[in-house]
Amino acid sequence: MSLSKFKHVKVSGISVVVPEKEINIYDEAEYYGGSVKKIDRMRKMVGFWKRRVSDKETTPADLAYDAAQNLIGEMNIDKKDIDALVFVVQQPDVVNPSTAYFLHDKLGLSQDCMATDINQGCVGWVFGLHMVSQMIESGAYKKVLLLNGDTPSVGIDPSNRNSAPIFGDGGCATLVEFSEEEIESCYNIDTISSGFEAIISPFSGTRFRMQLSDDKEWNLLHELVHEKLTMPTGMEVPLMGGYMDGIAVFDFTINIVPKNIRKIMDYVGLTPNDIGALCLHQANKQIIQAVGTGTGFDLEKVPYTAFENYGNNTMCSIPTTLACLDKEIKKDKLCCCGYGNGLIAISSILNLENTYISEIKTFKKPEYVLTRDEYINYWRKKITGEISRKEEK
Amino acid sequence: MKTEDFLVELEDILQREEPCNVNDALTDYEEWDSLSKMAVMAYYKKNFGVDINLNTLKEINTVDELIKLAGDKIID
Repeated sequence: MSLSKFKHVKVSGISVVVPEKEINIYDEAEYYGGSVKKIDRMRKMVGFWKRRVSDKETTPADLAYDAAQNLIGEMNIDKKDIDALVFVVQQPDVVNPSTAYFLHDKLGLSQDCMATDINQGCVGWVFGLHMVSQMIESGAYKKVLLLNGDTPSVGIDPSNRNSAPIFGDGGCATLVEFSEEEIESCYNIDTISSGFEAIISPFSGTRFRMQLSDDKEWNLLHELVHEKLTMPTGMEVPLMGGYMDGIAVFDFTINIVPKNIRKIMDYVGLTPNDIGALCLHQANKQIIQAVGTGTGFDLEKVPYTAFENYGNNTMCSIPTTLACLDKEIKKDKLCCCGYGNGLIAISSILNLENTYISEIKTFKKPEYVLTRDEYINYWRKKITGEISRKEEK
Repeated sequence: MKTEDFLVELEDILQREEPCNVNDALTDYEEWDSLSKMAVMAYYKKNFGVDINLNTLKEINTVDELIKLAGDKIID
């Protein structure tokens, strides 16, 4: 069943943080042969302009933590009332256990509050809302903190013009609650798993295992890390980096995503005229406009300001878009659609008329963040017993 | 759409500052990159209801061949 409807789930508040460091594509003329004309063309065609990027020490969880602290403070949320924390992340702090437990601890949530990670990419905000809505509508949970975080810009070679100008980083916190008063929300999901390899980090998990205590394996890893290959587009990329079949993804977005959106609008009996804005995942301007026109929307209702100003911050891009919306736009019927790695498209019709949407905040690095050397030393001391649990506290 | 109108549109799709001509080789255009190909795919779908994929665009060499992909949607 790809379509679902909820009647008692309210999105109460949304808060987004972005890193302080901003990169402007006009400061990167060296990668365009010094040609402002070429940059102008990229700006006009794809919307490349500004993006916010993290340092190497900041993790998606840190961004989500800061967004959560802002939301809890601004909405005066009593932490004791939060009975579930769901963290959507594709780059967890550690593989084991769920990074949600780390966030649960740092935020000081109660033992009665459950916590879990969900692994999703660009669809992560809408997908997370869909999962949390089921938890609330079932009656099991009343107040859920949905967190999202991603740092796709970290580790990308700045000379990789396929990826570097696109991605920005961000964190988001969303409070979702049970509402006695009826408030309708709907979702439609298309799962195109045949496109599983279209956006993938093929060497990031257990499909590629190495025994690094073996010198031969270590040498092989060294070779593989440095291996570069030429894509059909002529772009040279590292074997072990993330892989994206740009054309397959574009094909998916112009063919599947508009159908996904039209289906949910038919389901609820709405036309583009009834919708305040079509808030799409901010992949890039070209894709946003192709999806918008493919869905029959006037492009004035399909914003891409968030992409131009903050970059594609994956699962945070729709909440970032919501925070950028003009105040005059009616938010009682918004269509929010995520699409990306999976491949998956998920659209929603949401009523955010009475939702607190904070202005976008600059990330404040939490005091607990350690440098890499400090992190290594922390674990040395932890393993040898020099740090006790009591001292940590 | 008339061919002459499409040529003006193509200039805009490719974000090209020089005019486009029917007999031009697309491969001679500096702007004929993957971005332009995606823009052409989106334009054909939106304006002509014609689905074209990357492999098709890789096989064509001239503006004239691109025009032919639109069938009777572009006329002389």
